[in-house]
Amino acid sequence: MNRKWESIESKNRVFCNGRCITGHNLGIFIFALFLIIAISGLFFGFDCPYLTKRLSPAIPVFAAIIFLMVICCIVRTAFTDPGILPRATPDEILYLEKSDNSQNVALSGRVMEIQMYSGHRIQLKYCQTCKIFRPPRVSHCSLCDACIANFDHHCPWVGNCVGLRNYRYFYLFLFSLSILCVYIFVFNIINIVLRAQDASTVADAIRETPATIVEALVCFISIWSVIGLWGYHTYLICRSVTTNED
Amino acid sequence: MDDTTRLTNDQSIKLFIQRDYSEGTAVKFQERFPTELEGRIDRNEFTGIISEINAIFADAEALSCKTFMENCCACLTGYLLLLCMPTHYEKCVKRAAKYIAEKNENVLNHRGIFMVDPMEKGLRCIEVCIANTRR
Repeated sequence: MNRKWESIESKNRVFCNGRCITGHNLGIFIFALFLIIAISGLFFGFDCPYLTKRLSPAIPVFAAIIFLMVICCIVRTAFTDPGILPRATPDEILYLEKSDNSQNVALSGRVMEIQMYSGHRIQLKYCQTCKIFRPPRVSHCSLCDACIANFDHHCPWVGNCVGLRNYRYFYLFLFSLSILCVYIFVFNIINIVLRAQDASTVADAIRETPATIVEALVCFISIWSVIGLWGYHTYLICRSVTTNED
Repeated sequence: MDDTTRLTNDQSIKLFIQRDYSEGTAVKFQERFPTELEGRIDRNEFTGIISEINAIFADAEALSCKTFMENCCACLTGYLLLLCMPTHYEKCVKRAAKYIAEKNENVLNHRGIFMVDPMEKGLRCIEVCIANTRR
């Protein structure tokens, strides 16, 4: 029996016998994953032993919990179907062509008008590639070559579109990554300051833990964009609007 | 899922019951009786099947204490809980598929009608195939 994903027409890649669906280009996603794991690894390797002895063993425990949450969320966002709408079968196209031809135009030029109970009139546009009338809030992603429900945007860092079914994982990924960046940055500073107190100069302290400066730099650069994006999506959720509709 | 394209020939008709967006983007199919089914099945029976499907999908997306707790617990475990148990939404989708299969077997197939689960089409439409045995 042929599974539906075996005959998928969009550019999405499918893994694990249909359990994982992701976008076409996974390069930036692999890079992002590598960066997160590398920086966290350096933090656990270089900063945590000293901070555990000096301050408290709870520091690496919390860091580990936040790191696991980030990994779970990014993997869920990357490999969950965002709400891909299957393309129309030839029978459906025939039925649509015959059904309402009062405007006497080919399918591609037509719009479907819906009168809502609230009084609004909405127009559904026709998608040339998927051969369907796009339901409200659905948009076609050219990178994935598929219509996605509640289309937000195509995120290259996650290698997949963000839509109806993986938006919550994306938002939690942004939230936990912001916390992780701030956490690692703060404890890097604390590490340098405490070592400088013990070793009498800042230069000596940095020589003891060179990785700390690398981590602090990467975290500092990424904090602005990650927290900014998280703040923007919080604002969008409050307005109940997608990035595409903004 | 059976390959339904084999039903397409001169002897059969396929019609597609579209979504009803008049109340918003919630999953709801149009509860009007298609004229091609006139004489094959009782009007109320058919619209009853459609409204029951609508009710199951409305229940799937409904917010209740149970779904709230389910989502909170899943979030706290980093969504690893979802690998162990199906969500309320998945259970409702399965219930809808079972309902349609049961109606197909008991009511519709005898009259030469075959209804396809809308999940196969991404919840865009309900496909109804009519085998035209009479000429």
